[in-house]
Amino acid sequence: MTEPTSGTRSYLFADQVFPVLRIILLAIVTLVQTVLCGVPLLANHDVYDPAWVADAAFVVLALVGAACAPWVLRGRPLPAAVALPGTAVSLLAAAAATWTVPPDLHFSEVDWSFGLVGWHLFLLLAERVAVLIAALCLHVVISLGLFVVPGPPDRGAVGSGMIFLVSIIAFQFAVVVVVWVLHRRAERVGELAAERDRLRTGQALAEQRRLDHRQRFAGQLGATLPLLAGMADGTLDLRAPGTLQRVTLAATQLRRLFAENDDVPDPLVHELSACVDVAERRGLDVSLGVSGETVPVPTAIRRELTGPVITALSLARSRAKVTLLRAADDVRVAVVADSGTIDSATSGSHGTVVAWYSHGQHTRMEARWRPEPIRLT
Amino acid sequence: MAPRTDPADLTAVVVDDHPAVRAGVAYWLSAGVPPVTMVAEGEDVRVAWLGEGAEADVVVLDLNLGGPVPALGDLRRLVEAGRRVVVYSMRADDGIALQCLDLGALSYLTKAESASHLVEAVHAAAWDKPYTPPSLAGALAGDRSERRPTLSSRETEVLVEWFQSESKEFVAHRLGIAASTVNSHLERIRIKYAQTGREASTKAALVARAIQDGLIGVDDL
Repeated sequence: MTEPTSGTRSYLFADQVFPVLRIILLAIVTLVQTVLCGVPLLANHDVYDPAWVADAAFVVLALVGAACAPWVLRGRPLPAAVALPGTAVSLLAAAAATWTVPPDLHFSEVDWSFGLVGWHLFLLLAERVAVLIAALCLHVVISLGLFVVPGPPDRGAVGSGMIFLVSIIAFQFAVVVVVWVLHRRAERVGELAAERDRLRTGQALAEQRRLDHRQRFAGQLGATLPLLAGMADGTLDLRAPGTLQRVTLAATQLRRLFAENDDVPDPLVHELSACVDVAERRGLDVSLGVSGETVPVPTAIRRELTGPVITALSLARSRAKVTLLRAADDVRVAVVADSGTIDSATSGSHGTVVAWYSHGQHTRMEARWRPEPIRLT
Repeated sequence: MAPRTDPADLTAVVVDDHPAVRAGVAYWLSAGVPPVTMVAEGEDVRVAWLGEGAEADVVVLDLNLGGPVPALGDLRRLVEAGRRVVVYSMRADDGIALQCLDLGALSYLTKAESASHLVEAVHAAAWDKPYTPPSLAGALAGDRSERRPTLSSRETEVLVEWFQSESKEFVAHRLGIAASTVNSHLERIRIKYAQTGREASTKAALVARAIQDGLIGVDDL
C-alpha cells in the first residue's frame, strides 16, 4: 500500500471512516428493506394498486442496494457512474411505489418506500453531501406531490401524515448533518496532514542540507585543522615563510568555501572575488578581469577551477592578475603573478585541465574547463 | 582628417566629467614618448567641437558623462565627423566595448587600466591605428555575437594570453613568436572587426592604414 500523500486532502477519513460508514448504511438499507418494508408490503399486498408495481419497486430498490455492495464491501467509494444513476432509479422506484398507495394511506406504514429511499440516498451519496441534500429534498417534494395531487386530503390524514413525515425526515436530515460534519472534519484533518507532510519534507531537506554542508566543510577543512592544531600546541613556527603560506592557503580556502554557499547569480565570479579579496587583505596588488557571458558551471567544477587560483595567489609575492574568460564552450580561469620560477606542469581531472608555466619572475596558471572532456597536450 | 605623418605636435582633447581625471590624463599624455599635448578639456562633449578641441588629433571620450546612459550618440557623431576617438570608461562591460568598436572608436579602455595603455592607444589613434588593451582583448575573445569575424586559433590564443597576462613579452614567449608578431595579430584581429558591422570612416582609414603598412594585402579584403 502506498503512503498517503499530502495531495490527498481528506485521506484519513476517506480511507478509514467512510468505508465503515458505508458498511453501516448498507446494513441499515438491507435491514430496513427486509424487515420494516418487506413485512408491511406482504401484509398489505392487496391494498397496493397495482400490486405488481409495488413489487417491482421493491425489487428495484433491493437491486440498487445489491449493486452498491461490491464497492461498499471492498471499502471503496461509489463511482459517479453508479451513484448518480442509482439515485435516479431509487427516486423513480420510490415515486412508483408511493403511487400505488391509496391516497388516504400516504405517510403511514403502508407507504413503505418513503423512509427506505432516504437510506438508499445516504448509501449512494455519502461522499456527495450537496447532491444528497438535493435528492432528499426532491424525494420529499415528489412524495408530497403524490399526497396532494389525487385530491385534498382530510385533516386527520394530513395530521398523521405530517407526524410520520417529520419523524422520518428530521431523523434523516440529522444524519445528513452528521455526514456533513464528518466531511468538514475530513477536509480539516486532510489539510493538517498535508501541512504536517510539508513540514516533515522541509525538515528532511534541511537535515540533508546540513549533512551536505558538514560533509563539504569536513572535506575542505582537511588542510585547516592540522594547521590550527599545530598553532594551538606551539609546534608550528609562525615566522617561517612556509607556515605563512599554509595559513594564507587555508584562509583563502575557507573564504572560498563560505562564498560557495552564497546564493548569487554568478557563483564563479563570486568565488573568484572571494579569493582575490583574501589576497588583497594580505597586501597583494590583485586585479580581476572578467569577460564573456555567464555560463552555468557545476559546483564540483568550480572547485576544480578555483583551487589552483588559491594556490597561485598564495605563491604570488606582490602582484597578480586573475582573469575569467567565458567563450562559447570554454571556461578559462587564469592567474599571472610574480611568483618566481615554478616548474611547468599540466594536470587534469573531471574535465578540467590545469597548466602552470613560468617565464622569468612571472608564472601563469590556467585552469580550463570545457563541458566536453578535453585531451591533455 | 588627414593621418599624422610626423610625431611632433600630437594633440588631444579630453572629455570627462571629473577634473582630476582630465588633469591625470593630461599629465600622462604629456609624459608619453612622443608627448601629446592636451589642447582642450571639459566635462561636456562640446569642447571637442569648438576652438582648438575641434582640431585635436585624438578625442579621449569618457562614456559616462554625468549620467548612467553611455554617450554612444556623442561617439557616433564624432566618428561620423571623421574624428579619431579613444573611449575611456569606468565600465568594464564587454557589450558596450564591442558596441563602441562597431560605432568606429579606435580603442576602448577602462579606467582600471594603466597609463601606458592610454598613451599607446592615443599614439596609435593619431596614426589611424587600432589599439587593443587587455580588457578589450578579453571582450573580443569572449564575443559570442553572430556577426563576429572568424579568427584563427592563433589569433584567439593571442587575444586570450594578452587578456590574461597584460605582457606582450610574456605572450610572445608563451606562444614562441616575436613581440612584434603579437602586435600584428592584435592589429589584424581589429582589421577583421573593422570589416564587420556598420561602416565608419575611421574603420575605412584603419583598413587603409593596414594595407599601407603591409599588414594585410588588398586580396585579404
